[in-house]
Amino acid sequence: MHKDLNIFGIRHLSPGGSFHLRAYLEQIKPDCILIEGPSDATDLLLQLGNNDVKPPVALLAYTNALPIETVLYPFASYSPEYEALSWGLKKGCTIRFIDLPTDILLKLKQRDNQTDPEIKSEFHRFQNKIYDNVAGLYGEDNYESYWERNFEHNLSLHSYNQGISLEATEIRQLVIDKEALALPYDHAYNEVREAHMRREIKKAISEGFSPEKIVVIVGAYHVEGIQTDRTTMSDETLKMIPRAESNMTLMPYSYHRLSSRTGYGAGNKAPYYFELMWQQLLGQNLGDLSAIYLSSIANNLRTQGHNASSATVIEAIRLANALTAMRGGEYPVLQDLHDAAITCFGAGELAIVADALNRVDIGTAIGSLPEGISQTPVQEDVARELKRLKLIDYKSAIAQELTLDLRENIKVKSTEAAFIDLTRSTFLHRLSALKIGFAKQLHVNQETASWAEKWVLQWTPEVEIEIVEANLKGETLEIAVAYQLKEELQNGDSLAVATAVIAKSCLCGLTDIFSNALAVLQHKLVETVSFSDITEASRQLSFILQYGSLRNFNLEPLFPLLQQLFLRAALLLVENSACDDKAATAIINGITQMETVAREHYELVNTEIWHNEIKVLAQRDDLNAKLSGIAFSILLEHNFVNEDECAREVSRRLSPGIPADIGAGWFEGLAGRNRYALLSRIGLWRELDNYVQMLDKDEFMRALVFLRRAFGDFESNQKNSVAELLGDLWGTGAESTAEFLSKELNEEETTKLDELNDFDFDF
Amino acid sequence: MNNTTDILRLPAEILYKDELEALKSEDLNETKPIGWQLSPKAVFKFITGGTSKGLTITPKYIGHNRLVEIAIATLLTDRSLLLIGEPGTAKSWLSENLSAAICSDSAKVIQGTAGTSEEHVRYSWNYAMLIANGPSNEALIKSPIYRAMETGSMARFEEISRCASEVQDALISILSEKTIAIPELSREIPAQRGFSIIATANTRDRGVNDMSSALKRRFNTIVLPAPANLETEISIVTKRVAEISNNYQLKAALPTNQVIEKIVTIFRELRQGQTLDEKQKLKAPTGVISTAEAISLITNSMALAGSFGNGSITDEDLAAGLQGAIIKDEEKDKIVWKEYLENVMKKRGAEWRGLYNSCSDMNK
Repeated sequence: MHKDLNIFGIRHLSPGGSFHLRAYLEQIKPDCILIEGPSDATDLLLQLGNNDVKPPVALLAYTNALPIETVLYPFASYSPEYEALSWGLKKGCTIRFIDLPTDILLKLKQRDNQTDPEIKSEFHRFQNKIYDNVAGLYGEDNYESYWERNFEHNLSLHSYNQGISLEATEIRQLVIDKEALALPYDHAYNEVREAHMRREIKKAISEGFSPEKIVVIVGAYHVEGIQTDRTTMSDETLKMIPRAESNMTLMPYSYHRLSSRTGYGAGNKAPYYFELMWQQLLGQNLGDLSAIYLSSIANNLRTQGHNASSATVIEAIRLANALTAMRGGEYPVLQDLHDAAITCFGAGELAIVADALNRVDIGTAIGSLPEGISQTPVQEDVARELKRLKLIDYKSAIAQELTLDLRENIKVKSTEAAFIDLTRSTFLHRLSALKIGFAKQLHVNQETASWAEKWVLQWTPEVEIEIVEANLKGETLEIAVAYQLKEELQNGDSLAVATAVIAKSCLCGLTDIFSNALAVLQHKLVETVSFSDITEASRQLSFILQYGSLRNFNLEPLFPLLQQLFLRAALLLVENSACDDKAATAIINGITQMETVAREHYELVNTEIWHNEIKVLAQRDDLNAKLSGIAFSILLEHNFVNEDECAREVSRRLSPGIPADIGAGWFEGLAGRNRYALLSRIGLWRELDNYVQMLDKDEFMRALVFLRRAFGDFESNQKNSVAELLGDLWGTGAESTAEFLSKELNEEETTKLDELNDFDFDF
Repeated sequence: MNNTTDILRLPAEILYKDELEALKSEDLNETKPIGWQLSPKAVFKFITGGTSKGLTITPKYIGHNRLVEIAIATLLTDRSLLLIGEPGTAKSWLSENLSAAICSDSAKVIQGTAGTSEEHVRYSWNYAMLIANGPSNEALIKSPIYRAMETGSMARFEEISRCASEVQDALISILSEKTIAIPELSREIPAQRGFSIIATANTRDRGVNDMSSALKRRFNTIVLPAPANLETEISIVTKRVAEISNNYQLKAALPTNQVIEKIVTIFRELRQGQTLDEKQKLKAPTGVISTAEAISLITNSMALAGSFGNGSITDEDLAAGLQGAIIKDEEKDKIVWKEYLENVMKKRGAEWRGLYNSCSDMNK
């Protein structure tokens, strides 16, 4: 390449790099600035010069067809590329991006499937080892600290520029042969990119820009690749490279997202910290950075209610400076500041300051773009829907409530107007299925749940980002949601996931995915042996059936599935009922759900088999006694047993010789459901009375614990009824007995009862 | 101290005299903080190890170099240093070596106990002289902190949270004003540059005599963790066992790596409440099982082997030591140890069989 060419190596997202780049540009005063970045995005990226653009922002390119590939270029206010762009636009330079166009980048990424991930990670380990060694030679614990101390804090332009190119070139020489061997595809990818960049540089020179008036800005690693005299890419070669059908857009970005990306340059781990550094560099006042940072930490700790005095801030700054001095540095690096904060604010414990460190490192900044700059298909789709559904007023930063009535509005003429609230609901459900935080549904109480929905709507920049990202899943909201649900269905492997997807697809009005989910549910159902999982699913389906009809959605395919679920649950009941009391809680819940389903869909599901199984459970003695009790109470509810049978069963269950905990546990189950069914059966109480009378002292103590629990949640009028019943039985008169029994306990009795709490069961 | 070989335990500045001399001569041209005999970097090297003038500097504190750096930086800012941690995490050891490296004197120590009084912290009187002549310089008995302030050197305060709060609070004025007032002589003794205090406190004592926040604020606190991984802990144990056996002239062969690895493995697993491969959860015993205990367990076993055995550690020796170290609360710990033996150690194969047999014989 031409020797007069000005090449400036950078690290992405580096405030120091931006700072020196500005000085460098002032010094060279170029006519043409060439920047590493997709060449077909030049026009789009130039729009970032608009005054209303507020970083962080990003360029996103994505393929239209599967497999979805993306490339993302985030820019913060301190990105060197962003600085070059702003400077160049101000001075009227020609600015071009010179990397491969996005459609080629994406295609090449799509085809990268040959490499064994093990080889890839081994190469990265090798590469990281080199970086660690460099840091170790300088006495630093990690490369980031080394980098910050030696480059971000280096205020001499010349030594910065020389240093970064030299280091990157040397490291490149250490890794490049190994890369060619281990990762030939990556190696070639890099070669192609650099050949294209050289081609674009050559083109600029041939257009008449003199080389000494051109500044090329590339990642430091590429400096050597640009400088070489190797051939540039010819027109024919460029034509031969395959391209993927793709789109690109600018989008707002957030520091939070930036900080969660791995390996994208200096400032992405702690974007807000690096923004602070950028401001201090601009103000020629880098020395104040530690004071600003640590005061922010203190401020944050104080708002969380911790004690963080100014005196401690001063001590922390002194400690950070001392740590820096021990490493021979000039200003503390982020690690020094962290350690000082942990020692001084956290008394040595990270846990106390971790949250504050995170907040100040990352910050909450979200970028914004003026209207019209970023327009992706899904954004347009959402905008169209907002307008059509008359929701445009809700697109504001203030949270507003919206109540929807899903029923047909018969007062209006057109069908569209009649169902506008239903369409709105579908739209909002689609957004929340995509995890776009525009609308949050509020819980509405049961009686009105069938046709009313309440939402809170709030438009934030984060919503904008989430909508742009939905483009990766499909070009309209509907396609994106379908894709999302399909993914959930494929990744989840439980009955619950499939049921949830069925519910969501019904809410979002997606027929295809609905039938897919049904098929998955059916497969899972056969494999599931847990009674409570299946009852939960059937309860969910029954819920959809009850309320789904409002949504103009064909729910008929659900019928056979609900039947199947119900049947399987019924058949699993007895098998699942051989369990301990802890596991029984889930089963009891399941039985209640089954009863609800049986009641609501009696014409659909096979209640006969269900109640047969309940009968078996009620009769058998070898299952969980409490569950048998519950089953028996269901039989009572449905009048499947008469008075005599009831008395007989109670006396059988509570006969002498049956351990007290089993007998009383059974009664607890019996009393756990419909109490009025019990209170009306006098034979039952007679048997219970007999049972209690014949217990010896030790057994009585045991039984008392269970019986007390069983009666514990009876309401006071129910307790009165019990007392009256017993009064009749004992012949002591209903009222006087009730009065005697509901008296306050005296001290002796209370002590006796308290002793029961310490009763030791030898289970 | 003419014949140092007969002294039971040598202070660090004498034990590592050669290393300190070598570092000093290497360090001649470095700028040193006032009152320090070594530069901060040399102090760091003395603690974490390296070579100086061809002499190997043995590492004194292994595994957490950054904490050592923070400790030294704290003392550089003339702040006082508080080292806290579980028992046996080398708090005192680090504090002794830091003071030895910085001012060649680790002997100015106050041991915090329930009986420590304010006089121990500040000064007291020779009462015979006090009654005979009234308050005078001659009658004054200076505390270690007093002497450190006069000479601008390090004072150590061990187990600070063991002494009563009002005694602790006597430090507040010393640390913030850096003077000791002697109203009896109408005088104030200002501290010379280089004065600082290294205190240690035990996390297990939390709540006994909690430090007031006014006092805490005057310290930079560093929490010393248990060794981060098996290798570090093995190297710590190996090194200290060799040093101690040399010191005490134990007549037994040094334990093999295998023995140390076994002991450290058992200790780590019981301390963390899970096996090293994280597959099995364990019950942790009631007491602390620190690295320091592992060291003393092995040296004890060496003493047993040297005095009563054939000079090399047997499984029985180790079993006796383990029994004593792990079982502090008779009943519960015995069950914990039994479970560990049956569920973990027994299944570890032939290598562990001997130790398992001895331990289960012992734990009947």
